[in-house]
Amino acid sequence: MNDKKNTNEILKLADELRWEIGNDFHDALAESIHADAAQIAAVAVSYDDKKPQFDMDRTIDRIVTSPWLGFPIMFLLLAGVFWVTIEGSNIPSGYLASILVDTVHPALKAFADSINTPFWLSGVLIDGAYLAMAWVIAVMLPPMAIFFPIFSLLEDFGYLPRVAFNMDNLYRRVGAHGKQALTMSMGFGCNAAGVVAARIIDSPRERLIAIITNNFSLCNGRWPTQILIATIFIGATAPAHLAGIVSAGAVVGVAVLGIFSSLVVSWFLSRTVLKGEASAFSLELPPYRPPRILQTLYTSLIDRTLFVLWRAIVFAFPAGIVIWLVANIHIGGAAVAEIFIDWTNPFGILIGLNGVILLAYIIAIPANEIVIPTVLMLTVLVSSISGVGGGSGVMFELDSIEATSSILHAGGWTLLTGICLMLFSLLHNPCSTTIYTIYKETGSVKWTLISTFLPIAMGLVVCFTVAQLWYLLA
Amino acid sequence: MELILIAIVIVLLLVILYPKIGSLAARKSMNASNERIYVEDALKHIYDCEYKNINGTVQSIAGNLNISYDRAAKLAERLESLGMIITGDVLRLTAEGRSYALRVIRVHRLWERYLADETSIPEKEWHLNAELKEHDISAIEAEALSVQLGNPVYDPHGDPIPTVNGELPEKNWKPLSSLQSGDVARIVHIEDEPNTVYAQLVAEGLYPGMHVKVIETSSERIKFEANGEEVIIAPLFAGNISIAPLAEFETIPEKYKTLLELKRGQEAEVIGLSKACRGTQRRRLMDLGVVPGSKISNEFISTWGDPIAYKICGATIGLRRKQAKQIFIKPGKTESAKA
Amino acid sequence: MNDKGCETCPVYKPGNLIRHGINMTDFDFVIALAGNPNTGKSTVFNNLTGLRQHTGNWPGKTVSRAEGAFSFNEKKFKIVDLPGTYSLLSTSQDEEIARDFILFGRPDVTVVVVDATRLERNLNLVLQVLEITEKAVLCVNLIDEAERNKITIDDRSLSRELGIPVVLAAARQKKGMPELLNYIHAVASGNYKCKPHRISSETRELKSAVEKLSTRILKQLPHLPNARWVALRLLDGDQRMIDAVRNGELEELFKPDDGNQNLMSVPNI
Repeated sequence: MNDKKNTNEILKLADELRWEIGNDFHDALAESIHADAAQIAAVAVSYDDKKPQFDMDRTIDRIVTSPWLGFPIMFLLLAGVFWVTIEGSNIPSGYLASILVDTVHPALKAFADSINTPFWLSGVLIDGAYLAMAWVIAVMLPPMAIFFPIFSLLEDFGYLPRVAFNMDNLYRRVGAHGKQALTMSMGFGCNAAGVVAARIIDSPRERLIAIITNNFSLCNGRWPTQILIATIFIGATAPAHLAGIVSAGAVVGVAVLGIFSSLVVSWFLSRTVLKGEASAFSLELPPYRPPRILQTLYTSLIDRTLFVLWRAIVFAFPAGIVIWLVANIHIGGAAVAEIFIDWTNPFGILIGLNGVILLAYIIAIPANEIVIPTVLMLTVLVSSISGVGGGSGVMFELDSIEATSSILHAGGWTLLTGICLMLFSLLHNPCSTTIYTIYKETGSVKWTLISTFLPIAMGLVVCFTVAQLWYLLA
Repeated sequence: MELILIAIVIVLLLVILYPKIGSLAARKSMNASNERIYVEDALKHIYDCEYKNINGTVQSIAGNLNISYDRAAKLAERLESLGMIITGDVLRLTAEGRSYALRVIRVHRLWERYLADETSIPEKEWHLNAELKEHDISAIEAEALSVQLGNPVYDPHGDPIPTVNGELPEKNWKPLSSLQSGDVARIVHIEDEPNTVYAQLVAEGLYPGMHVKVIETSSERIKFEANGEEVIIAPLFAGNISIAPLAEFETIPEKYKTLLELKRGQEAEVIGLSKACRGTQRRRLMDLGVVPGSKISNEFISTWGDPIAYKICGATIGLRRKQAKQIFIKPGKTESAKA
Repeated sequence: MNDKGCETCPVYKPGNLIRHGINMTDFDFVIALAGNPNTGKSTVFNNLTGLRQHTGNWPGKTVSRAEGAFSFNEKKFKIVDLPGTYSLLSTSQDEEIARDFILFGRPDVTVVVVDATRLERNLNLVLQVLEITEKAVLCVNLIDEAERNKITIDDRSLSRELGIPVVLAAARQKKGMPELLNYIHAVASGNYKCKPHRISSETRELKSAVEKLSTRILKQLPHLPNARWVALRLLDGDQRMIDAVRNGELEELFKPDDGNQNLMSVPNI
């Protein structure tokens, strides 16, 4: 085999030469390629020698990164984005809810009755699966359809890399990458989208940190819960004219606690489990470009909004079925839900919550949006309140906060329950869409499990501590 | 009910502590194969002595492995019975012993290369980590690792990595202590044993690839410039640093300035990248155009002062201060201060 | 536990797209699209194929390899959008995919998209591509931005220096796309003969090593058009190349008188 001998000779020669050249082969090669490139560029590229009178990019850069204006500009812009999202989504959300929940749902029921659909079938499909999907769409779609396009526009313009640049110092100290500030902001819209956005971080360690800690950004499915509970329980403790400010302050406090947790957990991760992962830093600051508004709207709608929405619906469908079933399957005279709630209630009390909340968080794992409707339905179910809601297994929400408040109080809720629910809503496992996305992005069961169980462990510890202190002091 | 909760908590703890438990288990199983570790370490030591042309003895094994003389003598007997060495005043490796030692050394150096290039484990932990790992990796795993790393030929200390067939190149190194004042050279290797000496040398900021210029030597100390910074060490320590003559195209520069010293609006020319910048980070910087000869300028500084935005090859790149400190420059003309 | 493995590393996993053979039966030509991240490569891809991929103002946006197709001058083209990389030399998965496709996938044309405002840095990648393949077209994108920044690019001398066709383009405005198509067709069909630039400013040590090794390789494989690249990869310890030399794949790939351009299956890359 002459060929075999020849190829082996080639490889042997290569080995010998590698010893000779030593370790610097890569450097030497990179340098020579650059030298050639520089020569060619010198021939083919010419710059206008006159110094430009006014360098637009640099001027913007020096303003948005200046010690005085850098942070105010950033906070104003981000606050503006959130304000527009919250304000702008109120009306379409209400509109969607009134169509999907108040109009289509009864119509579907009536149609099912008219063709004599069995009770359980219309219950599972219409009261369970359909209603869960309707809720997710009504709550999720409008804010996403506003938040993501605005974010994409800022990204397209080139401002977001400057935010990462400004914030990097903070993130460097906890072993993370400045771009995590962006994935975190995306997380305020949707954690699944935030996890996908972590792709912009190309250093493996920093990317994992961003993925694992994204859940600490209060996502838009959790904001309504926070606002509702803060209004009912925390706002009520203050004098009437301050109630609004106090409850808003409580919600912002929880969001800030989330940011703080994400930094602490990043620090912890980068010093323990992720200590050895490779890490490299560089942050390219692209030139500013006029954003292409129409194209950005189109692609961000397709890429982010619909994509995330689709996944949420896929997960909400089975959840709706489960929710209906646990409220309607009876064992020994009591619904499965009631049995479970009775059983877990003592533990719930231990951490300042109750059995209803625990069950709601377990069966509403696909989407945080349906936690409150599920809580209300279950509370009515177990406290045997009559005259509200649509029957067992039918999620509902009430138009008036007072009515919601009276149901929750009738269910035995206290100020402590409210506080602990707000904390638990921040610190619990990611929704199943996010868990699935984390698995897709990391391709690792280990990191998916850590991302899932770390926050819930923290939530249990925090709620337990708060509740025990409360019991001690009150 | 409580039982289930306890189970949940245990599962949580397991998940969180998983790597620790893992490594604990690994260490335990190693205790069981303690004997193998001694055998391999002794072979490595004798090989090292032969490579450095010093005499490997039972006494030196005892010293190197930190065991009693009797224990070392038993070990030597065992090695002879295995056909690995020939005993005598000076211990000599047989062909089989040498190839065994080289296999262990290959794994050790490959693993150090891996730690240096692919992880962010600090430099001072590499050697100890590799000391544990070298007994732990199978031949197949070692080859997979080598492929993943691009079949490296040198470890991060500058030691050649033996090939699979146990080949090593000739070396033409001299210790730093052999230089006279005024001599210039390049550090090619820093001995990583004993660890205390190595840690001290690392703490002085020394690494392979640095240019040194000896200023004065005496029996108490050697004073030299390493990349322009003055360093004073004891001759004993200097014996652990190997140097090679500079290649013809290398010029020893005056005191290196780093990119970090460049003020906003100033421009400079890159003259090199510290060897302390390794792996992905090094490749990334070179890809971005941080190579000798390219122009670089400080454009603007982030709100908190770190990172700093530099213009490199027409692109604006944010670099952290730590990285800017690893880039050597020759200051160029200053851009006229603009508003 | 064994903490060495990088199986769990969250690199972008572009691999799952590439590890199947590519069916080229229905196409006359295969085009590879290479380029630095953030050069508007995806915009060029979308322009050529009519597809819409999200492109953002971020490095590293194209995470997986995309494929598309189009017809031009009655020929069918398949176009493969490779991951955006700064270089083709490292062991990172993105770069491996890109360089292995250009070499072992043997595209009929490799289009390199570069950013006109950072031409010098982008030329690194171009020079590396030209070491691998002779059939390439350079698309200097974002020429409008360069104009705004008062940068002038002389496409003729660039083309002369590189030995391949050069198109100045602004893909966002669809400028330069017809010219690009013409050149792609011309190079693919062999009407335009490229004389690619080869790297020449190596250090003496490097140069002599590459020459020694490539001479030896050419003795064995006289028809290899890119022996220097093979030598460079061997000197860098690239296992894929070592295997290709050892198992004769390289020889097979560049057999003389291999008129059949459309290899039915791309060897496992």
